[in-house]
Amino acid sequence: MANKSVWSDNRFWRRSAAWVTGFASILLIWLTFDTSAQIAMGNDQDLQNKVTKRVPGPTVINYKITYEMSAKRGHEVPVIGEKEKFFGRDDYSEEEAGALLHLGKLGSQAKNCMDCHTLLGNGAYYAPDLTKAWIDPAWGPNGAMQALTGKNTKEEAMAEFLMHPDQYPTHARMMPDLGITAKEAKGLVAFLKHMSSIDTNGFPRNFGKIEGAVHGK
Amino acid sequence: MASKYLTGVGSESKQLATWYFTFAAILFGAQLLFGLIAAIQYVMPGFLYGILDFSIARIIHINALVVWMVFAMFGSVYWLLPDETGIETVGIKIGKLLFWIFAAAIVVVVLVYLLIQVGPADETTIWFITEGREYIEAPRWADWGIVVVALGFVANLFLTGIKGKQTGIVTVLMADMIAFAGLYLAGMFFTDNISVDQYWWWWVIHLWVEATWEVFVGAIAAYGLIKMIGAHRQVVEMWLWIEVAMLFGSGILGLGHHYFWIGTPEYWWEIGALFSALEPLPLVAMFIHVLYDWGKTQGAQEEKGSTVSVVNNKPAFTWFVLNAFGNFLGAGIWGFFHTLPQVNLYTHGTQFTSAHGHLAFFGAYATILIGMMYIAVQGTNGIKIMKHTKASLWGVSMIVSGVVGMTVALTIAGYVQVLVSRAQMGATWAGYFDGQSGMWFSQAMDWRLVMGVVTFLGFIFLAKDLLTTGKNPVHER
Amino acid sequence: MFEPFTDVVPSFFGWLNQGPLTLTIFLHTVIILPMIWIYFQEKKRLENEN
Repeated sequence: MANKSVWSDNRFWRRSAAWVTGFASILLIWLTFDTSAQIAMGNDQDLQNKVTKRVPGPTVINYKITYEMSAKRGHEVPVIGEKEKFFGRDDYSEEEAGALLHLGKLGSQAKNCMDCHTLLGNGAYYAPDLTKAWIDPAWGPNGAMQALTGKNTKEEAMAEFLMHPDQYPTHARMMPDLGITAKEAKGLVAFLKHMSSIDTNGFPRNFGKIEGAVHGK
Repeated sequence: MASKYLTGVGSESKQLATWYFTFAAILFGAQLLFGLIAAIQYVMPGFLYGILDFSIARIIHINALVVWMVFAMFGSVYWLLPDETGIETVGIKIGKLLFWIFAAAIVVVVLVYLLIQVGPADETTIWFITEGREYIEAPRWADWGIVVVALGFVANLFLTGIKGKQTGIVTVLMADMIAFAGLYLAGMFFTDNISVDQYWWWWVIHLWVEATWEVFVGAIAAYGLIKMIGAHRQVVEMWLWIEVAMLFGSGILGLGHHYFWIGTPEYWWEIGALFSALEPLPLVAMFIHVLYDWGKTQGAQEEKGSTVSVVNNKPAFTWFVLNAFGNFLGAGIWGFFHTLPQVNLYTHGTQFTSAHGHLAFFGAYATILIGMMYIAVQGTNGIKIMKHTKASLWGVSMIVSGVVGMTVALTIAGYVQVLVSRAQMGATWAGYFDGQSGMWFSQAMDWRLVMGVVTFLGFIFLAKDLLTTGKNPVHER
Repeated sequence: MFEPFTDVVPSFFGWLNQGPLTLTIFLHTVIILPMIWIYFQEKKRLENEN
């Protein structure tokens, strides 16, 4: 009589399961070390020396950020340009900018942003994605939001909207008043500006490049 | 001796299981109720505006979902442990105490979500109100509570597994549950770096629902087959090990499909795409496995000249078969739809994800956990052969058609969003609202609400049946 | 034969990502291949048991 096949032997499958699970876990841990190093936040020096970081340091708020096609990468990437004033200043120190970002990130969690909006595409789908909100044309000089909030800069318009969202209805689905203070609003805008500088491998595609394709503008 | 555990009478572990199942069913109801509120808000944005905003309804909708499933999972383990190991669960008194702590903590967390909702942008909010991270919003104090409770549960499981008979099912559960509990730690820290934040956040979410929870389902399905149709343990456990190899082999590195766009390197495109593309394979295997074993056992019975069904618990088995199919369809097919980066670039963060989420959580987890609840009803009431009742049939048909209906509606909404907001409008604020006001989108949201109501009505039938069927004379005792 | 490196920072895994499927084929292979060794070990064990 032929021997029992290994393929119908539980021990073979048990050992295979243990091996596959263990080794996949080890690979994941290795990949995690590699990725962690790549997504660690950069610093002010990187920005001054034009060293590209996937996640730039907080002082990126001192610079103009655009989202442009990169021939090398084959998709759009955030480009950090010349200095740009943020609430009237472009000389935030690493500590000041870091504190603003810290406040903004805490605020984004304390106000449950992710349960209506998506951040980096993750969250709820009840309100627009905020990944590149900072460079959304709606907040730019030709967009509706500066006029609507009566402010002359993008950051002030955003902060004003965040503080009194129920006074500026942009859609039937309105953002509720979450009790955001002026200080928190400033932090949140810094957080949004910083997020727009993160290299998201080209997500979202064509952001802000198409104006009114549907209505044929 | 063994029969004492099989019936559930006199086993403290099984009694504790019924507590867990009861609380899980209540939370399931809460999940559906708050889901309905959120669905109404899509159709009538002014509904409860400023009182119970969408964000709060949704937090409770998804947190209740996760927590009821965790409760039902703990319950399932406490239920099957005496059967598998042949002994009473070790440390059951502590297990019971932890249940009350867990349940009380959940009530407090939900009340805080409802009544306080948001806090100032500082650490106290993170510690006491909300962490604001989708699915695991529970404040930090509750995180630590959950860690303590989970450790107690894992200790119960390990001590019992080591002392009693260690079957393949128990071995898999022991390995799986320690990973399940340990992974929660990855979601318990704060960082200013949103990319790092989401990197570890996915360790909890993905490695739960696409790895450890799936393996848990494999183990429960194996137990159910042995219990309900008398499948052969040798066969069932061989399948189980194959499933573990395939689930972890594809699921662990399949984590990469969440790392396409959050700031992480480009190599995740390839790792995430190809490993997660294989994730449906074990789900096909599980589907075949359940049906194959059913046919095989029934066939063996018919060889002997008997045409009596081998299934000793019709409602539970119905839910188990639905699980086998729903897992494949919801997690497998609907997941594969948008797992490749070239597709996901446009579908990421749209109602597509939501469609997948609804069918996957239902198909993969809700079904089998409801099945376990029926097994517990059968055991506690000493029923030999449990049959369908009108309520159980209405419950299962309405819940299934409701969830499938919601999924189809959300998928259509997702198409509109992808085409209009993403492809044509480039994902801006204006593009987002153009997509949202499209006719197909708003009609899809109407249908989602209707189907949500159907699901909720089905839940009422299910709850009624679970509460009353035990005493129904229709069953054979 | 080798593709130019496109990602922001060169790394081992990025380097393995040499075009269609190279990285994932490599990872799948190193995960699956050792099962052959387990297979023959178990085969020997089953033969010895007889």
